[in-house]
Amino acid sequence: MMATDYSSAVEIKKIVKRYGEIRAVDNVDLSIRPGEIFGLLGPNGSGKSTTMKMLLGLVQPDSGALNVLGIDVQKDPVAVKRLVGYVPESPRLYEFLTGIEYLDFIGDVYGMQTEAKKARINEYLKALELEGREGDMISSYSEGMKQKVALISAFMHKPKLLILDEPLSGLDPRSARIVKDFLHELKAQGVTTMMSTHVLEIAQALCDRIGIMYHGKLLALGTMDELREMAKLPDSALEDIFLKLTGTGDIRPVVEELLK
Amino acid sequence: MNWKNVLHLIRIDTKSGRFLRGKRLTRFRESRIFIYVLYGGSLALGLVVGALAGILYVSASATDPNFAALADQAMLSLFLGLPTMVLIYSLILTMMQQIQRSGTKFSAQAPYWLPITWGEHTLASILTNLIGFPLVSILFITPAIILFSTFTGQVVAAAGTALAICAAAFMASAVTEVFRVLQVRFIGAIYKSTGRAAIWVRFIGSLLLFLVFYTVYFYVVSGTGGIYLLQTIASAQSAIWFIPFVWLGMTLYSFLNGLVLQGIAFVALSLGFIAALFYLATSLNRRYGLYEPPAITVSRGVYAPKTGLLGRLGFSTTEGALIRKDLKAFTRRRELMFVFIIPIVVILAPVMQGLGQMGRPVPAEASLILVAVVFLFPSAAMATMLGTFMIGEEGMTIWRIYSSPISPKSLVKSKYFFVVIFSLAVLAVTGTVGFIAFHPSLRATFVALLESILLVFALGSISLSNGTKGADFTEVPRPRMIRTRWSFINLIVCFLVATAILVPFVPYLLSSFVPGLAQPFIDPYVAAILSSIIATVITLIFYRISVKNAEELLKKAET
Repeated sequence: MMATDYSSAVEIKKIVKRYGEIRAVDNVDLSIRPGEIFGLLGPNGSGKSTTMKMLLGLVQPDSGALNVLGIDVQKDPVAVKRLVGYVPESPRLYEFLTGIEYLDFIGDVYGMQTEAKKARINEYLKALELEGREGDMISSYSEGMKQKVALISAFMHKPKLLILDEPLSGLDPRSARIVKDFLHELKAQGVTTMMSTHVLEIAQALCDRIGIMYHGKLLALGTMDELREMAKLPDSALEDIFLKLTGTGDIRPVVEELLK
Repeated sequence: MNWKNVLHLIRIDTKSGRFLRGKRLTRFRESRIFIYVLYGGSLALGLVVGALAGILYVSASATDPNFAALADQAMLSLFLGLPTMVLIYSLILTMMQQIQRSGTKFSAQAPYWLPITWGEHTLASILTNLIGFPLVSILFITPAIILFSTFTGQVVAAAGTALAICAAAFMASAVTEVFRVLQVRFIGAIYKSTGRAAIWVRFIGSLLLFLVFYTVYFYVVSGTGGIYLLQTIASAQSAIWFIPFVWLGMTLYSFLNGLVLQGIAFVALSLGFIAALFYLATSLNRRYGLYEPPAITVSRGVYAPKTGLLGRLGFSTTEGALIRKDLKAFTRRRELMFVFIIPIVVILAPVMQGLGQMGRPVPAEASLILVAVVFLFPSAAMATMLGTFMIGEEGMTIWRIYSSPISPKSLVKSKYFFVVIFSLAVLAVTGTVGFIAFHPSLRATFVALLESILLVFALGSISLSNGTKGADFTEVPRPRMIRTRWSFINLIVCFLVATAILVPFVPYLLSSFVPGLAQPFIDPYVAAILSSIIATVITLIFYRISVKNAEELLKKAET
């Protein structure tokens, strides 16, 4: 079932996901090229996380087709998972394990060889400054440290596609910078990244293309220049474009109301 | 002391029970009437019981003149003993409540950033501890004795007893609060000092706690120990007057015997002791209320992958990783350690019963039943229970299983292996105890062992299939692991299947117990073969169902 050559790392065709009366994802079409860093933006509840979960087979769409790295997600989700590194919105880790036990577990789950596993765990622990704390139970880690462990567990098996939901949340500036640079290096190696973030500066600086979701629909899709053109806001930052396209730009009256 | 703050804190704490009760968390509605039905009901029941007892007292006194004197004397004894009795059971109940709370996940940490003093926090915590059965019992006892005393003319004594009961319950809860804070600090200190061994300290400590708790429990329920203890305390308060916990009882004793000055002294002492306990609890809360136990460091910088044995047994690296992870979960997660209660209880119950029967010969039939109980029951119960936990215990971390390349077959294989190995380990321990305690014949031992193993395999596969189908990943306020409906279904199916597996032994057992039937018409070994066939078929069927359920589970990851 696994295809070795594919024109799109992610191919989403007319997917719909309903939760009761709410259409969480509404007829979305999207194609992400191999080696691309793609940012999926949108206000809370706009359908970003649901879309990402559907790509891993964690949520079943009501209709539409999903193809990841040449594999039909609905037909063979395990094969997709083997090739993808995933960090969920709020990663819950096995808190009764130590950091190194958790990463050892992840390495085994992805079938890594012992030597490669050992080497990679040590590299990542050092890079993200978790050295010296890897033997502590995860329950004693701060939120940022837990996020680092979740990121390492997504990177360590060298996935071809990274699906990262708010990957930099809770990270200290140095670690955030390392992760950003690392994603750029992975891009050069052909690794595709799909990430969501509410920090628009990060998306602007990091992503090749950006998709903006609102009420389950993909409102806009393109490079920064294309988005500026769409919003008719030349030389603007992503924040202004985002607020204009999502129709949430009229902030001033809200602030004035609060000040009363 | 801002009493409004105390009331607000108590109200918040009582609402934390919503997580336990409420299934629908969106558009949440709650009827206030039903919250207080329990307490109103206890009060009403107390009044009814008091009134009925009073009417009985009046009618019995009319026919038997001696009855009134005897009843009055009995009531006075009850008044004297009640405060200490309430103190003891309130202490046990509030402590049990604390044990239960330590297994829940929601944070009970004081919102220290709010303008609330530690005294208010402590008072609210002490009073909240009493909500539940301690409060229900107080609401039942006090109106009952006061109303009854209007018939006997002991209203003042009853009112004094009612006050003493309330004070005793508060005293007990304050002691629990002191222990709660100390326990947090003490355990933290143990972790810090023991470092790598901390998880074993916690594991063995928990087992010891269960062992001590159930030893006391069975001592109380299996003999006259508890009643004797209470009677002794109630009647011998004068002898142990120097112990502050009996000062409330001594107060009543002094006043009822006309020793007014002594009574006043004990009132002052009791109030002083309660104030001291409250001060101690507040001081400890102020000091350790926000105490964070230090990190448990298991290893330092040494990476030691363990792949050997499970790999040689034919498990893939994924399956081996899952099994090792679960092994760590059951020795490190406090709420999962409760599974060890079953073997402890099953071993302790007959042993404590045996202590009560000391010196008396055990009949052969009884010995056979005890052997069956000690061999068959713990491992079978463990398999029945563990299987239902194995998927649900993942809790919110289930996303890891969902998002990892784990096939349904691998998931079931690793979880099933764990259930079987763990249950067989329990069998090894309880079987050894059973063999030493009851000296069964070799044939009985062999058959009991074989049947236990068959039950473990069959019940393990059934419970795993039900545990997968009915998995509940709710963690707050406590890990649920399986939905109630599926837990019941599992119990019923496991009971029926266990009966079916053991059915071939019925003729043999009948011949042992029914005197008329001399020879069994099925030899135990033939019965064992039949039983093996039944168990194997059931195991295979339910193993396949487990895989099917796991396929469904992984597809429906969104739920």
